[in-house]
Formats: sequence, structure tokens, C-alpha cells
Amino acid sequence: MRKSYLTLIYLFFYLPIFTLIFYSFNNTQYSLVWHGFTWRWYVELFNDGDLWIAAWHSFFLGIAAATFATVIGLLAAVSLYRYHFFGRRLVNALIFVLILTPEIVTGASMLLLLTLSQLPLGFITLFLAHTCFCIPFVIVILYSRLVSFDKNIFEAAKDLGAEDGLIFRRIILPLLWPAVLAGWLMSFTLSLDDVIISYFVSGPEFQILPLQIYSLVRTGIKPEINALCSVIFLLTLALIVSAQFALRKKS
Amino acid sequence: MKRPNHFKHFSLTTVWLWLFIFALLPFALMIVASLLDHNETHIVMLPFTLENYTQLNHVIYLHIFARSLIIASFATLFCLLLGYPFAYLIGRMQNVRWKNLLMLLVIIPFWTSSLIRSYALIAMIKAKGIINAILLALGLIHQPLALLFSNTAVMIGLVYNLLPFMILPIITNVERLDNRLIDAARDLGANQITTFRKVIIPLTMPGIIAGCILVFLPAMTIFYIPDILGGAKSVLVGNLIQNQFLVVQNWPFGSAISTVLTLILATFILIYHLASRSNKKKQEWL
Amino acid sequence: MKIFFIFLLLALCPLDLMANDKVLNIYIWANELPSFAVRAFEKETGIKVNVSTFENNEMMYAKLRATKQSGYDIVMPSSYFVDRMRRQDMLEKLDRTRISNWKNLNPLFLHPAYDPLNDYSVPQIWGITGIYVNQRYFQANTISNWTDLWQKRFDSRLSMLNDTREVFSMALLSMGYSANDRDPEHIKQAFLKLKTLMKNIKVFSTDTIISIMIDEDASIGMAWNGDAYKAEQENPNMRFVFPKDGFVIWVDNFCIPKNARHRDAAYAFINFVLRAEVGRDIALATSFPTPNLAAQKLLPEKIRTDPTIYPPAEVMKRGQFQIDVGDETAALYEKYWDELKMSG
Repeated sequence: MRKSYLTLIYLFFYLPIFTLIFYSFNNTQYSLVWHGFTWRWYVELFNDGDLWIAAWHSFFLGIAAATFATVIGLLAAVSLYRYHFFGRRLVNALIFVLILTPEIVTGASMLLLLTLSQLPLGFITLFLAHTCFCIPFVIVILYSRLVSFDKNIFEAAKDLGAEDGLIFRRIILPLLWPAVLAGWLMSFTLSLDDVIISYFVSGPEFQILPLQIYSLVRTGIKPEINALCSVIFLLTLALIVSAQFALRKKS
Repeated sequence: MKRPNHFKHFSLTTVWLWLFIFALLPFALMIVASLLDHNETHIVMLPFTLENYTQLNHVIYLHIFARSLIIASFATLFCLLLGYPFAYLIGRMQNVRWKNLLMLLVIIPFWTSSLIRSYALIAMIKAKGIINAILLALGLIHQPLALLFSNTAVMIGLVYNLLPFMILPIITNVERLDNRLIDAARDLGANQITTFRKVIIPLTMPGIIAGCILVFLPAMTIFYIPDILGGAKSVLVGNLIQNQFLVVQNWPFGSAISTVLTLILATFILIYHLASRSNKKKQEWL
Repeated sequence: MKIFFIFLLLALCPLDLMANDKVLNIYIWANELPSFAVRAFEKETGIKVNVSTFENNEMMYAKLRATKQSGYDIVMPSSYFVDRMRRQDMLEKLDRTRISNWKNLNPLFLHPAYDPLNDYSVPQIWGITGIYVNQRYFQANTISNWTDLWQKRFDSRLSMLNDTREVFSMALLSMGYSANDRDPEHIKQAFLKLKTLMKNIKVFSTDTIISIMIDEDASIGMAWNGDAYKAEQENPNMRFVFPKDGFVIWVDNFCIPKNARHRDAAYAFINFVLRAEVGRDIALATSFPTPNLAAQKLLPEKIRTDPTIYPPAEVMKRGQFQIDVGDETAALYEKYWDELKMSG
């Protein structure tokens, strides 16, 4: 019974992916109905250097932003949990506001802010913006996990003379690790797919994938994009699964 | 002890710096903008005015807001109903390798563009789509189901895209469940259902709340998924704000709508917080 | 943490190539400029072209408005956005002496209402908003005006473009008013008329319109002639009607924004694209109508004489160029648009 429920949900997640891969072989330019098998979109894809560069940029940006956001989010969540400091409620409220604010408002206000700072639009501005909107998600995930900790552990450690940095490294971090990973994954996912905020703060020299896809969709989807998404999907799947197997061998 | 707490100072400074520049300033900008005027050559300009807020006093905006609220609420509910059992089953797995792999398998599909996945959904539920083709071939229906461009399609699209945001926080909470508490409940004579209700749910509540927040808030402002799956036949808060910023070029009004949205949702959270205070057992959440 | 900062610094290094002068940053609609054209230009001139794409005029405009240092040397606004942008001093006046291939352009597209002196924009692609009909369900020759869409037989069969101006223009034209009408009374009448159309409308969409046409999710509705032509290639039941009560002509233009840093490259590019052979190749690849008359003449006869893509002159006369209506009227349109959608 449990297995079938899990399988059902996984099917729910993966059926559209399979459809996407299936349609990347569709012999049609605009229709969303099957018209026969063809390799031509993959051929076009491999000849389209721009899309690959944009994809690579997006991955790089995602990794950078997710990592930085997780670090700051971790510090923030721990601080919120452990310390009663000036402005604590304000920080809480700001996190909430950040998640809630519509992307277009965030994008526009960030653009205005970044323009005032004279930073040229490009990787740096994208990086800053992405880190910024990922942090609240990390905090929410981490905090919910921290809340279920036993506070006595910290008291005991403090009584034994441990200073906060040590407590953080030796106690909090190991216990929190799965949540940190979850936060990182969520940030990476958010960054890879962000369109509106990225749109406002991106520059001409650093192309990212979601923007390319969204604008290509405007004048009709070509299965070439399906081909790209299929390739990316299969590559990451292969990467993750093989990493898991490699780790398994180690232990 | 008077030892300087380096860690604490470092953390607080970093966090405060970051949030101040990237959260407080933009938010302040938004509020200030909502109180300003605008014209064709200036995005915002003096004088200060409350007109953007008084403009909101129109039944159409209430209608739009109510609709967004209903859709977001249902989406959250479905995500919770579908996501909680899933997260629970995965979180309770003993084999850590399997668990991590399964968790990753949930996320990987979401690294492909949500727009392309939504179009795949369209290809599946269209009149000439895959689902209808299969059902017709099996003889289960005689006319293609009109799934696309309906409220059903919108809900499917929303739940599909937001489900991982419900699952991830709950998994991290479920993992922390102490088996001894569950065993203790059993020893005291509770059956499975009671154990679940009285022990497991309260213990995983922080995760549930986190999941609901991470689903409900984006669901309130999302608009392109309802548009492409629902046929863009209604206006949601997200569309409204988007159009004010882009089509009408009235950034002050768009900011005002956004501020009001924030205030209303903050009120909800506040009410919840006050209500749960009376039942407060352990730590406070917000 | 330290490792991360080193990582970051390494990532910044490649960005130093920004200092290079032989660069051109263009900001265009995706699918309106095939990459082979860009590559050919790069090969010939040695200038590296960075192509950024946007998906609608409003986002492009909002971004350029918020920052005067966007970094782009060429942008591609549609008709009434050229109007808006030039009036707000966001565009450079073009020095036509530097565009020798200007003569290739079709006189029909010179001196349009949105840029009467042609000193800010160079037309690149145009289109007409008309009615597509799926011959399999409805006879195309029974439809000749916008008003025909209100017929009861189209209940839940209609698709509309998801664009405020386009839909209202259509309603205004059906009542004999101008597509660019600013009179609040006329706009209100258009709104009331549109309310009665809502039950016929199955879907509002601009992005998926081609697949909607081909896969027959809707059987009749608003579409651009270029899109209808593409749909025709995959679904032979498609027909296109140019309404007798008038229609909107839109044009996508190349413009040079203020503070562009690589003007020489920009002019070179515009001139390159206006060449007859290049224009023809672009038109063939994108399947959009081209305002480049010299290029049009080089097209294969089948396309050159296709009435959907290149309607005859008498038909073209019924068209109106879109111009800017100003922020206040835009706000009025938008308010009625919200009410219209919520009434359905």
C-alpha cells in the first residue's frame, strides 16, 4: 500500500517529464500533438551554441546563489533560534515579506536599487538578486527543523564551557545537515527557474536559460527546447544516481 | 562570562547587513513608491498621495483578491493532502542512502523549466492530448474530456509545481521524530490513528506550517500557470500587479496593491499566531 | 567560506572581456532573427554579437525605463512602443546617412503614424491582426467582419489574443471607431460590447496560439497573419480573413536606445540586415512578412504571392498602425480589461 502511494506520486511528478522527452522527438514545429518521430531537434540543438552557454551559466549561477543563500540562511536561522536580539521581530517580518512580495515588485525594486549602486548588470547583479530571494526559503526550512531541537543540549554545552562557534560547528550543524541540504536544493531549484526577477537584473553579456526559454515560447514552442530540457534532465539524473552509487561503494 | 561572543556577532552582522540592503531597502522603496504619484516621463514623482490606496476601494479588486485567495487555499490544501503522506513515508525510511536518493528524485524534475513542464501538462490534457487519446482508445469515454482551459487544469498545474515546496520541509521534520515517543504512545494503548493524531501531527506541525507557508504565499502571486492552463479567462492578484507595472506603467499603484496584499496576509498570520498562543506548549513559531 | 570567495573571483575574470570594443549587444524578440544571420554578420565584421531576448514589449520597456544603462545597443520595440519611447527620450535619433540600404524598404511602412519622420525606427518585421478560421468547422467565406465573431454559433469556440490593446482595438473597429481611440465614451461602449462576447471565448492566449490553431483547441479567433501562415503549413484547414471593418498593422522595429555604447556596430548591423539577400533569408527562416521590398521580391513565388502573408494593396489600405494612447487611457483600458475578465 505504501509503495503504491509513493509510486503514484512519483508518477505524478515524472509523467510530464516523460511527455516532454517524448515530444522532443515530435516531427512538427508548433503542434502539441504527435506527428511522427524525428531526430532533427537534437541536431538543431547541438548546433545551437547559445542555448548551451545559457544553460551552463544558469547552472553556475544556481550553484553559486544556492550555496551563498544557504550559508547566510543558516546563520540567520540559528541566530533567530538562539538569540533574542534587537530587531528580531523585524527580521521575522522581513523574511515573510520577501517570500510574499510578487516577483515583479522584487525585480523592479532590485533593479532600481542596483542601478543606484552603479553596478553593471550581469552576473554579479543576478547573483545578488538570486541569493536574496532564496534566503527566506532556506530560513523557513531550517527554522522549522531547529524548533524541534532539545534546548537542553545547548545549555549543557554552554555549562561545559563551549563557546558559540564551537556549539555551532559540533552540535547544530551535524544535526541540521539534512535540512541544510533541503534548503540548498530548494534554492538551486528556485534559481534555475527564476524568470521575472532575473529578467530585470540581467545584463547583455551573461545569458541565462530561463529567459531564453520564456522568450522563445512567445513565438511558438519548438521541440528543440524539449530536446534541451530532456538532455539536461537525463544528465542530472545520471549524475545524481551515479554519485549515490559511488558513495555507497565507499562505505 | 564576559568572553566576546565572536560567532554571535559575526552571524548577526552578516544577517542584518544582507537583510537590510536586500530586504528592508526594497521593501521600503515599495512602500514609498506606493505613496507617490507618477506621470509619463517619471516612474515615480512627488507629491505624496494616498490616491493609490483609495483607488483600491472598488469591488473588482475585492473580487480579484478573493479569487486568488480561494485558489491559493485549495492549492495549499491539495498539496498538504498529497504531500504529507509522501513526506512521511520517505522521512521515516531507515535506509539513509535510499532516502536521500528518493528525496533527490523528487527535486530533479523541477530543475527543468516550469514553463516547459506546464506545456507538457497541456500536451497531456488537451482535447487531442495523450490522456484523452488513451481514454478514447480504451473506450472509457466517447468524447474527449474538456480538461484544458478549466479550473481543474489550473489546480493540477499549481499543485504540480508547488508540491515539492510542501514535501521538503515536512521530510526534514519527520526525520526528527523520536521513535520512543511513538512507542510510548503504543504502550499506553493508543491505536495507529490516535497515535497519528495526538503524537505525530503535533510533532511535525512546524514542518506542516513551513510547507503551507512556502506553498500558499507563492500561490497567491503566481499567474502564468493559471494563465496558460486556465486560458487566461480571469484576473488574479499576480496578473493585476504585473499589468500595473508593465502595461499601465503605474508603479505606485502596483506597489500599493502589493503592500495591501502583504498587510492582509500578515494579518492572517498574526491571527493564527495569537490563536496558537493560547495553545502554546513548547517553542513559539513566529 | 574562503573557498567560495576564491570561486567567485575566478568567475569574475572572464567578465573582463567586457572592455572589448568590437561588441554589439542586441535586445530582440526571440525567433525574429535567426542565428545564422547573426553569425554571418560576426564573420563579416569580426564584431561579437550578444543576443538577449525578451518576450513582450512591456517588460522590455519597463527594464529600459528603470535603468538608463541597460547596456543594449539595439532594441526591437513594436509600433506604439516606438511612439512611447521616442516621446520619453529613450531612443537615439537615427542618422539615416549611415543606413545606405534604407532604400530597400517598402514605402508602405515609411512614415507610419508612430514615427512620422522615420527618424527613430527601422522596420524589420510586420504583421496584421485578423481572423483565422478552421475550414473544417466553419466556412471562411461566411466571415468578413469583426462583428461576425459575436455570432451564437461560435459559443465557446473562440480564441482571443491575450492583449488589452489588441482586443479593444478589435471591438472599437467593429463599431467603426479608430483602433487607437482615446475617447472614454467609445472605450466604454467597446467594453460593454466585449462583455457580450465573453461566452463565445474559450481561451485568451498569445503564446500558444499557433498550437491552438493547429491542434484545433479553438476553431476561430484572433491571430496574426504570420502565425496563421505557419499554422496553415501544419494544418491545411486553416484560413485567414482580413476583416472589412479594419484591422491593426503592427511593426517590429530596430531602434538604438540612448546611451548605447557601440553605435558604429549598431549601424553596421542594421545596414547588414537591410540587405536584400539577408532580408530574404530572414523572411524564409522566420516565416514572418518582411517590410524589406527588395527582399520580398527575391522570395520564392509561392510565398511572395501568398495572400495570407502578403495581402494585396487594396486590403492593406484597411489597416491602421498602432500608436501610443498615453498612460491615462492605458489605465482606463486596463481597468475595463480586468472587469471584462472577471465578468466571464
